[in-house]
Amino acid sequence: MAMADGGRTVGDGREPEGRRAGGLAGAVASEWTKLWSVRAASLSLVAGLVITGIFTFYYASIARINEHPVQPVGNAAASSVVVTQFVFVVLAVVAVTSEYTAGTVRASLLWVPRRHRVQAAKALVAGVVAFLGGGAFAVVGTAVAWSAFDGRASFDAGTTLGQAVAVGVYQGLVAVLTVGVAFAARHPAGALSVLVTLLWALPSVLLGLGGDTLAAVNDRLPHGAGDHFLRVGGDGPYSSATAVLIVAAWTAAAHLIGLYVLRRRDA
Amino acid sequence: MISLRGLTKRYGDTLAVDDLTFDVRAGRVTGFLGPNGAGKSTTMRMVLGLDHPTRGRALVAGRPYEDLRRPLRAVGAMLDARAVHPARSGRAHLLAQARSNGIPARRVEEVLETVGLAKAARRPAGTYSLGMSGRLGVAGALLGDPPVLILDEPVNGLDPDGVRWIRRLVRDQAAEGRTVFLSSHLMSEMQVTADHLVVIGRGRLLSDTSMAEFLAAASPASARASVPDPEARSRLVRRLAAVDGVSVEAAADGTVAVAGRTAAEVGDLAHECGVRLHALSDVRVSLEQAYMDLTARSVEYATGTDDDGGRG
Repeated sequence: MAMADGGRTVGDGREPEGRRAGGLAGAVASEWTKLWSVRAASLSLVAGLVITGIFTFYYASIARINEHPVQPVGNAAASSVVVTQFVFVVLAVVAVTSEYTAGTVRASLLWVPRRHRVQAAKALVAGVVAFLGGGAFAVVGTAVAWSAFDGRASFDAGTTLGQAVAVGVYQGLVAVLTVGVAFAARHPAGALSVLVTLLWALPSVLLGLGGDTLAAVNDRLPHGAGDHFLRVGGDGPYSSATAVLIVAAWTAAAHLIGLYVLRRRDA
Repeated sequence: MISLRGLTKRYGDTLAVDDLTFDVRAGRVTGFLGPNGAGKSTTMRMVLGLDHPTRGRALVAGRPYEDLRRPLRAVGAMLDARAVHPARSGRAHLLAQARSNGIPARRVEEVLETVGLAKAARRPAGTYSLGMSGRLGVAGALLGDPPVLILDEPVNGLDPDGVRWIRRLVRDQAAEGRTVFLSSHLMSEMQVTADHLVVIGRGRLLSDTSMAEFLAAASPASARASVPDPEARSRLVRRLAAVDGVSVEAAADGTVAVAGRTAAEVGDLAHECGVRLHALSDVRVSLEQAYMDLTARSVEYATGTDDDGGRG
């Protein structure tokens, strides 16, 4: 249109025709395009699938060999989250920090100058991918576990589906939390250190040392709380709804910290 | 139109941009000149809402950049052509850009054709040469068909063909009534591209004039004449030297350099004293020379007053 005909006059910036996306919808479409136009995202998902398969196979095999009491089959996939959450952590960290290493964050902010909208779009895309990917991993993991349990697990369609959705919700919240941390840290190493500490090292230390107080602290951390609504059969210190809210609170806090840094600092 | 009003940026105790006030008007190419570190890029980043001004403001089409609803339709900018994810193809980069502002995907193919990148569009941007990255940056600036273009060093890394292409492109864009604001450190290129000049040094505005006025103000009129006959040559030199405000230099090869008079005035004088000339021309000062004179004056001024431990 514009470049083709020579004697045109300059437009007034209004769109003459066609789709009218922009705003948050445009920002989300842009982030979606960015995510899938490099291989990192698909590679993480493939890696996640493999890890899920291996983890759930061993989880179920150990339960069978050691003759653990019969448990809901979905617990295998729910337990695999301790590892698979890092698939979405890496995916979301890369989605944010690659903009800083490549310098494209300036381009992104030129396209979408409202900074909260850039972050919201990234969080939404990462969150949805993690929700769907996490749920799919759970389904696959449950299938793998079912054969490996070889009778040492119970199957109830409602419970299993509920657990798959719960895994999706947890992974989605972790991805959004990660986007917030990554915008605050800007560097992949910094963001990953924080997230590995929060989601794995700290819980391991707290539970490793043992004791009621440290366990109570762990129950307030994202993965500790997540575990209470992911696994069925344990007796949690609070309801599943509370557990979801604890993880959501961590996510909201990280999102706000990331937003604060993104808005305040020069790009 | 772009308007800057008292735009200031301070990093710690360094004033990177110091109270800049000027307008960049539509329908002409405005060149933005200044030594490295003068604050050109910082100024452009503040205009585009990437850096927060310490004081003052910058408006594009009457609004802060942040308030533009679909900014790519109002302003096309190219800051750092290298800033593309190395694994993402040029086409995917532009597609993500187009979708952010609801620009139809076919427009991506159009700008890729315009900048001559259609063949390489599906290759990872990390494999592009500097010149190709530059073309991709220009494609991004043109994507929204915006009435305002802001280009930071657009000819960087381009081959001579590319440089000519950019020159044509920005001239055409300005002729269509767009606002074109571009920085470049290539003086010869700027001289043939820009109509208007904004010069800054150490973050301060040094000059905001048309190219013609800038060149005229930089040095007084001067001319060069070629006088074959030695006797006539010394007659002309004596005659010229007697005029106030004129300095003359005669070289052994028969040329006479006259500072302070135009070729027309020298020709009239030569005619009066009956001196035969083989050649006569005005000596045009180059933008580079004019710019050096201006910044030398400002550096002199700066070093004269900067006894409190000046910054570089």
